[in-house]
Amino acid sequence: MKVLVIEDNRQLADSICNFLQGEGYVYERAHDVKTAEDKLLMFSYDCILLDLMLPDGSGFDILDFIKNKQISSGLLIISARDALDDKINGLENGADDYLTKPFHLSELNARLKAIYRRKKLEGTDTIIFNDISLDTDRMEVLVNDTPLDVTRKEYDLLLYFLINKNRVLSRQAIATHLWGDYTDNLANFDFVYQHVKNLRKKISAARGADYIETVYGVGYKFNANKV
Amino acid sequence: MKLISKITFWYIVIIVLIMCLTMFTARNSIAKHIREHETQRLTAQNDSIGALLLAGVRDINTTGTPITITRITGNIPHSKTQVQETEHYNSHIGRNEHRLNVISWYQAGNDTYKVTSYNYVTRSYLYFSSLVWTLVWKLLLIAVAVVISGALLSRYLLSPFRHTMSAIKQFDITKKDKVRLMQTTTKEFKELNCFVSHMTDKAIEDYTAVKEFSENASHELQTPLAVLQSKLELLAETGIDEPQAKLIEEMQIAIEKLSRINRSLTLLTKLDNLEFKPSQIKFCRLAKEVVGMYNDRIELKQLKINSRMDSGIYLNIHQTLAEILLNNLISNAIRHNIEGGSIDLELTNSHLYISNTGLPPELPPDELFKRFRKSNQSAESTGLGLAIVKQICEVSNFEVSYDYHESWHHIRVQFNKEGDFKNEPRPDHGYPPLILEPA
Repeated sequence: MKVLVIEDNRQLADSICNFLQGEGYVYERAHDVKTAEDKLLMFSYDCILLDLMLPDGSGFDILDFIKNKQISSGLLIISARDALDDKINGLENGADDYLTKPFHLSELNARLKAIYRRKKLEGTDTIIFNDISLDTDRMEVLVNDTPLDVTRKEYDLLLYFLINKNRVLSRQAIATHLWGDYTDNLANFDFVYQHVKNLRKKISAARGADYIETVYGVGYKFNANKV
Repeated sequence: MKLISKITFWYIVIIVLIMCLTMFTARNSIAKHIREHETQRLTAQNDSIGALLLAGVRDINTTGTPITITRITGNIPHSKTQVQETEHYNSHIGRNEHRLNVISWYQAGNDTYKVTSYNYVTRSYLYFSSLVWTLVWKLLLIAVAVVISGALLSRYLLSPFRHTMSAIKQFDITKKDKVRLMQTTTKEFKELNCFVSHMTDKAIEDYTAVKEFSENASHELQTPLAVLQSKLELLAETGIDEPQAKLIEEMQIAIEKLSRINRSLTLLTKLDNLEFKPSQIKFCRLAKEVVGMYNDRIELKQLKINSRMDSGIYLNIHQTLAEILLNNLISNAIRHNIEGGSIDLELTNSHLYISNTGLPPELPPDELFKRFRKSNQSAESTGLGLAIVKQICEVSNFEVSYDYHESWHHIRVQFNKEGDFKNEPRPDHGYPPLILEPA
């Protein structure tokens, strides 16, 4: 997947690019509207990460540009302003998703992949890893070819783990992924623990391998190297 | 009552009073003048006869005239002229008539003559009635003239005022349009317009400043937080040991809390600044959706939920604010609940009750809605959830109250405080503590 990162804060852009590199994506970066438009004209990208506040203009200018030039890349807005108008405007102007700062890189990854699946694979995609397979179209999980009876949240959780294989996922990142912005004042860590526990139990019951490891003090990790 | 009606009313009252007063003065003055002139005429008439008598003429023929000449014996009374007013019944017209008699005495030689002449004068009540009629007509005409000219003049004179009023009514701070006021030469309206335009300009300025501040504060703080968060995440991937991982997690928790507090404070500022426009939304559907989002957590905490939600409930509230309100209330009901506890939910046209089992609050109920006040000092909480609930209720014209009764927390949100929804009559008694029995 080829990604264009349009973000004026260099440290944040560094982090994002570092992460994308680790995921094996090809990326390019632009720190202002001018560079971004030049790059968009010259190359094509699967996905664009767009910050709304840029030194020489607004991310909305780029949205218009993309629309006018009929560029078909997936578009994920990352903005510090969770101003509702921005969110709605962004989505109405062709963005595929909106992520407010600060965000977890693993969440960014999940959203990018989701956009990629929707755009390029038109939603029909099966994610297969060893004995586990996920049908993202029908939201079904098969372990050793046996359908697994999972809840919506457990499905989301497993997908999140599969997208972020071998990464330490903090309980916070998982909570934010499962429950979104309104996780505010719940002791979500307990719920994360319970969901993970139930998911592991169900996979084990289907005689699947137990890839999900507890990383003490932090969270969980989907260990793909486990035999 | 309109200003012009009031002015017209008082104007007419004053005119009526003055008219009545002047009418009585006019009657008295007319009566007095008539009497005086008649007396003068009759005296002069007597005097001309007296002159004849003095000249020695004796056979004065007064037949057919209201003059009588009588010779009397005795002295002339002290005043040579005397005026008498008497009533005489006139059988032709069937009423008493007022007669003015002037009696004069003359000394002609040795003889003393008394000359009496009289005339009938119109009694004052006879012309008084015509005075009254004139007055009534006059008053009617004046009243009509005042009302018509008042209406016409007020349309002209008060038009700058009316224009200013409608400009104020249409003034929308979020649109940032300056109010345009009509030019006027009236001093009071000039002052009013000056005041109004000054106030609205200031309001727009303040509003914009606060709005910009809240947006910038959000951006300027969230971006460094995003940098911190991402760096920590990358750091966590670099083969660190367990104590280090623990440290990183604690930092991440702090960052998230900081970001939440920032977001909540920005939201509160925006609520204070009235940046959310309410619209009609289907509240019952939203409530069901929000409750649905918490289903997994309700199950995981083994809570029993009893909900009675009416359908077809439309409320005038901003969509996102309604979501935040419901989210905060329901997540509170879950968080402050005990393992295996219950939540009762009731939604009707007039109110939303959310009750849950839980430990008694450590704070007095009034304190709960204040910013950064936390009961049970839960570490995850920002202490802003209920402050936001209260603020949302305030801008949406709802009223929120809290009560703790026999290990149940009750939150009651009373909709349409002003009664702008007429679906259900508002209870005129206060808010009785709601006591729901655990199911």
